[in-house]
Amino acid sequence: MTGFLWFTEKTSKLMDIIAYTALTSIMLLTVTDVVLRRFFNAPIVGTYEIVGMLGAIVLGFGLPLSSWLRSLIYVDFIVKKFPQKGQDIINITTRIVVIIVFLTIGYHMIQYGTELMVSREVSMTRRIPFYPIAYGLAISSFVQCLVHVVDIIKIFGGEYE
Amino acid sequence: MSEVEYGLIGLAVVLGMFLTGIELAFAMIVVGVVGFGTLISWDAALSLLVKDIFNVFNSYSFTVIPLFVLMGQVSFNAGIAKRLFDFAHKFVGHIPGGLAMATVVGATTFKAICGSSPATAATFASVAVPEMDRYGYGRKLSTGIVASVGTLGVLLPPSVTLIIYGIITDSSIARLFLAGIFPGLIIAFLFVCVIFGWCKIDPKIGPVSPKSTWVERFKTLPDVLVVGVIFVLIIGGILYGFFTPSEAGSVGTFLVLLLAIFKKDINFQGYIKSASESIRTAGMVLSLIAGSTVLGHFIAITKIPLITADWLVSLNQPAWVIVAMISIIYLVGGSFIDDIAFMILATPIFYPAILKLGYDPIWFGMLVAITVMVGVIIPPMAVVVFIVSKITKTPLSVVYSGVYPFLISLFVGWVLVFLFPGIATFLPNLLMK
Repeated sequence: MTGFLWFTEKTSKLMDIIAYTALTSIMLLTVTDVVLRRFFNAPIVGTYEIVGMLGAIVLGFGLPLSSWLRSLIYVDFIVKKFPQKGQDIINITTRIVVIIVFLTIGYHMIQYGTELMVSREVSMTRRIPFYPIAYGLAISSFVQCLVHVVDIIKIFGGEYE
Repeated sequence: MSEVEYGLIGLAVVLGMFLTGIELAFAMIVVGVVGFGTLISWDAALSLLVKDIFNVFNSYSFTVIPLFVLMGQVSFNAGIAKRLFDFAHKFVGHIPGGLAMATVVGATTFKAICGSSPATAATFASVAVPEMDRYGYGRKLSTGIVASVGTLGVLLPPSVTLIIYGIITDSSIARLFLAGIFPGLIIAFLFVCVIFGWCKIDPKIGPVSPKSTWVERFKTLPDVLVVGVIFVLIIGGILYGFFTPSEAGSVGTFLVLLLAIFKKDINFQGYIKSASESIRTAGMVLSLIAGSTVLGHFIAITKIPLITADWLVSLNQPAWVIVAMISIIYLVGGSFIDDIAFMILATPIFYPAILKLGYDPIWFGMLVAITVMVGVIIPPMAVVVFIVSKITKTPLSVVYSGVYPFLISLFVGWVLVFLFPGIATFLPNLLMK
């Protein structure tokens, strides 16, 4: 079980590294584009669409660690008024709901990615295919599921905050 | 059952789910999909779900949020706020309550490059409160003002809250940024007035500190000037179409980062921490936007926003009654979940009413922003107060009692913007024809 927790945490952290690398790339690419466009009249073609795609990596790949750290907004002051057993039941129920949501998103995102691949959907300027983004978001959704499975394990172990 | 009844039940279920401890964004997704699936079709609901998430995440416009948050985080981790506080301290520290006033001036200047309320409150809680302790300030005043100035980031550009409002209502972010300047400065001035009045009534709460020489004062000016230049560049750049808001976020972050590296205020680890923190905040906001987009499709087919608009118009009440009603709903709703989350949830419902009543969306955005400012410092969900209490190790009750006098400033600010919309609309109308 420790191995599963370790794997989920490391995977989330690895995805976060990819996410902030993408964020830094957005900043550097955009600044370079602004300078080249404004001062040398030589913009980087397709910056707009590359930034959009990098944005998907930033947000999609950053989400599992956000869930791991519980940094998404939730309201627990009512749940905390329940006895421990009641809190555990509510928390397990909400984690199961979230797992179902992300399994659904992941599964349908793969289908959507396949649709984009088959129809050869690409960006307007650079002609970059969209399907890897959909597949990336699907992977992120499945890692989210792992994070919430870990939450359930933590609840059973009495370690869930 | 009618579509409206489905919609009302859906909204009740969302609010109920919020209280179970589930992440708010996920609750909105669940209700949005189930509602749309029940009313239209399950295939359409699931297809819409993935497309909504794909489009929100793969969107150029939304990258503005992590970029401006990153600029704030770099400023926060580079300790720029401390220099700005030192500048204000040198100029006004020698008058009664001067260090608390310096906190207002320092935080207002810091807001020019940091749009995050929690980051500002956290910074000034660690920078200004120990300094005020050193000169014997009462904790009520020191923690109360630090928590209150944290809220200025909601109104002063580059405010993340205003960016979100702009995205939800399709309003110009540049106009919103400009509209926030005067109300933000007025509220900052009102904070200073409250400090002045409080120290007059109880001089022990804000004793004077030694007067600085003019040489000492002038030595602190360059840091403020650099921040001023970056601010003007960002806002001016957006305003005159030199770059888009996302580009402004990138350029601003890059300049702040260069400044921090040049001054050896930030190292690689500091930057990584800033980037990772930005992703946490951006993920929090954008997951809410994705959730509200999914929920929004369901709410749209129930026609609740249109019916709400018609109902509010049919009330035949004066403008102030309707806007006050909407603001109270924002305040109460935001107090029990989260102010930004409630704004994302409620704005699509009330916004059509605002348009139908012929109100200026930019003006309404300012009123919403001031309401959010109140929401983040009143119980039970007072995020900024929690942060200040934790960092300064002060009981929550003391911070709250310190915050209450400053609520007067926010209330007066709200009333002024309501009565004189020009306070908000003058600058955008002047500079953006």
